[in-house]
Amino acid sequence: MLPLTLFHLFLGLSVSLLGAFASDHQEETVKGFFGRNGTSQSTHTNNWAVLVCTSRYWFNYRHMSNALSMYRTVKRLGIPDSNIILMLADDASCNARNKFPGSVYANPGRHLDLYGENVEVDYRGYEVTVENLIRVLTGRVEPSVPRSKRLLTDEHSNIFVYMAGHGGNEFLKFQDNEEISAFDIADAFEQMYQKKRYNEIFFMVDTCQANSLYSKLYSPNILATGSSQVGENSYSHSSDKDLGVAVIDAYTHYVLELMEGINKTSQSTMQDLFSSIDPNKINSHPGVRSDLFRRPLDKTLITDFFGGVSQIEVVDDEEGVEEEAGLVGGNGKDSVSSTAPAQASFAIPERRASHSKRHIEPVSNTSTTSEAKELWGWVGSSTRAWGAVALFGGLVGWVRMRS
Amino acid sequence: MLLSRLATVFAAVTLCRAQISEYFDEKLTVTPLKDGKVASTLAFTTLLKNASPRNVERLHDDDDSQHYTLFPLALGQILREYGVTEMHLTLNAGKWNYDSWGHPVEPGVGTGAELWAWIGDGALSTVDARWKGLRNALAGLFCSSLGALDELRTTSPTEVFQPEGSLPSSTPHQLRHASHPSEHVCTENLTPFVKLLPCKASAGLATLLNPHRLFDANWHGMGVHVLWHEDEGVEVRLTFQTVSDPLRNYQARKQDWSFESLFGRKVERACPAARSSIVEVSLPQDSPYNLSPEPTLAEKDVAWFDIQPASKPVDISMSYMPDFNPGLAARLAKPSTPLSVQRTLKESSQAHGQLSVVLKNHESYPIQAVYLETMPWIVQFYLHTLTATLDGHPYTSAFSNLSYIPAVPHSRPSTFHVLLSIPANSTLKVTMDVTKAFLRYTEHPPDAQRGWDLPPAIIAPLNLDTNRMYTPTLLVDLATPDFSMPYNVIIFTCTLLAFLFGNVFNLLTRKFVVVSLKPAPSSTIKED
Repeated sequence: MLPLTLFHLFLGLSVSLLGAFASDHQEETVKGFFGRNGTSQSTHTNNWAVLVCTSRYWFNYRHMSNALSMYRTVKRLGIPDSNIILMLADDASCNARNKFPGSVYANPGRHLDLYGENVEVDYRGYEVTVENLIRVLTGRVEPSVPRSKRLLTDEHSNIFVYMAGHGGNEFLKFQDNEEISAFDIADAFEQMYQKKRYNEIFFMVDTCQANSLYSKLYSPNILATGSSQVGENSYSHSSDKDLGVAVIDAYTHYVLELMEGINKTSQSTMQDLFSSIDPNKINSHPGVRSDLFRRPLDKTLITDFFGGVSQIEVVDDEEGVEEEAGLVGGNGKDSVSSTAPAQASFAIPERRASHSKRHIEPVSNTSTTSEAKELWGWVGSSTRAWGAVALFGGLVGWVRMRS
Repeated sequence: MLLSRLATVFAAVTLCRAQISEYFDEKLTVTPLKDGKVASTLAFTTLLKNASPRNVERLHDDDDSQHYTLFPLALGQILREYGVTEMHLTLNAGKWNYDSWGHPVEPGVGTGAELWAWIGDGALSTVDARWKGLRNALAGLFCSSLGALDELRTTSPTEVFQPEGSLPSSTPHQLRHASHPSEHVCTENLTPFVKLLPCKASAGLATLLNPHRLFDANWHGMGVHVLWHEDEGVEVRLTFQTVSDPLRNYQARKQDWSFESLFGRKVERACPAARSSIVEVSLPQDSPYNLSPEPTLAEKDVAWFDIQPASKPVDISMSYMPDFNPGLAARLAKPSTPLSVQRTLKESSQAHGQLSVVLKNHESYPIQAVYLETMPWIVQFYLHTLTATLDGHPYTSAFSNLSYIPAVPHSRPSTFHVLLSIPANSTLKVTMDVTKAFLRYTEHPPDAQRGWDLPPAIIAPLNLDTNRMYTPTLLVDLATPDFSMPYNVIIFTCTLLAFLFGNVFNLLTRKFVVVSLKPAPSSTIKED
């Protein structure tokens, strides 16, 4: 009796150890998959954006234009409307004072219409309150709130949070009658961290004394930037003679200018973004807080936060072999998007050819040590798995035959 | 036996499935108005044949799977989730001028957001719970703040808002109506509207939905109407009405219009999913004009164009020979509607006011009309001061069938419903004193100094064949507190308390003593 139980115990242990080996191999494969996107080491799988304009009234046209500039940028770089929460505290586009209804312009001379014909504003007018913002961020919304007004992020989501309006030392004014403080924002982000609602957050603020708003953050994986230091104002960029109001803020204007030159395959980093803003031109000193952010800024791509760029690996159905069809970034090929299906289909036959070669001579083609290790690991794990099953089946059969 | 049963079931299912079919029609109605403006109404109707609203008693069970090709799925899912049989949502901006423009093609022209629905009763969840769910779901779908249409704005005026379609006779239905006059309508409401159409905005008459021109119109409004016709099926009608002004440019002398001048676009392609695509133009009767291209069918006062076979791009235009003469046009034209209404709120103080409604009957026979007022609780009526004067003289037989549901402060609006009789060719003036509420500090909106918008009153004539009329909204100025007072009180009180406490503490604990300073002897000082 005792030898039998001991033998069963030994069998169970060996199977679990084999299982552990197999999962180790899976972790390595996953890491290798994410590491293929050029220089970025990000581990996010989806992107979200929360863009907030907190000011009401026609003369705060520029704050709505700020939020809409960021909306245009993230939408252009691939984040869909379902992943964007846009909050505008007032209606500038169809305002009775707007000489050009249906449009919000980003520069004097009206060359760029930010409103366009395809815009979805999730929270508008009186719904933009401190309570609603914190509820959206933390996910503690009432059951009646519709899906388009919820932030349905998970632990692999990168979130871009942008806020524009009037602010001061450690506060931001909402709609002229309430304020959100830097402590509120820090606590909201901490709740999000505890609930595993983000992978990384990029927090950008364009208000007066904006750098004070991120000074109280204490949760990991947050990169924050503001447009002016404590004691400094953020200024508007220019006003349009026909509209009669300032159309955009200086900081956001230069950010937008940089973003207009970026597309989905861009390898520009956050360091490029922060270095491109000239304090002399915007009359304030932007700040960056990266102590909570674990990746280096010159290795963090702009599209990690602003774009909806995904890592894709095409799996061949016939052979079940994983093909390296890294179609995103790194090697300069266009990403899989609605604009470049033709190039993607050109890429695949090339790789299939090289892979079939590799399939015939698995050992000789593996040049790098990591590829060899990976192949050996794959071969080894399937052999081990089948070996364990055969062993267990044999044992059970022997026991049945004995009894 | 089993096989034959299966066969009959299978046949029945396929027959039923085969009978559900969907039809999509689009129609544009263009009417030149007597003051030089042009009213246009785009209507997109999708009919789901032989479909019926969901049985509300089985609302808690899983729904049968719905397969739509043309019928908008997002809207259909919302309606089936909450057991809604009939629903009308309108989002309008501007003031509809009945005297100059007549009756609109779609009657729901109240400014702001108006939502009313007939919801089946008898499910496990209450009608109010499902009304709340419907409001919030539509708010999410159409990017508008319809969640604000809560019980502070919801009433149930069943006599005026009778169902336009049929209601299933097996379940009782309840009406819920709410309006939010300060709601804006802009491109973000048009974007999901266009996504509900089969051809989106790329083919058919929907290409004319250019937000830059639509929201520039003097009056514009979009509507979503869902009805059930018992012998037809479920119909969804998406409408967009505008009143544009060809004479707005000071250099324009004629009220010429075309698709290019009204919408900034032409119809480039026909929508292949549309069963019919028709433009109906009302022809002017009193001045020479030129209409191009040639209409498919023309009568004395209406011309029809069939877009689908026409050569593309289609740009229908009407040009007039003489210049537009506003004085002549006004003299020649009869009053556009039999009844003219004007409603004002006279406020002399921040506590009281007087609501005054003036109704003019232009016809030579008396008119019976229902006057409905769904006033939020912030303005409350003194019903005993309700008086009527006819051409200046007191008139006692104006009112009958008065029904009044008083307002509950902070929770329910008042519903005031009365049948008015207006004699022929006369002016009836109805006045009532009102009191204005003093709101709690937290109930004021962020822009409290603007005031509150009051929803339009609705006049539904009984012995005419015209539809209901909406008065313009009113703005009421309520007493606003000094919003900096809480801060002032806290600062002042804390200062006073600190001052008092500090003084008392010092008096009790601080003791002044004299300290003598002796010179220290240098020999005893040691360095460590």
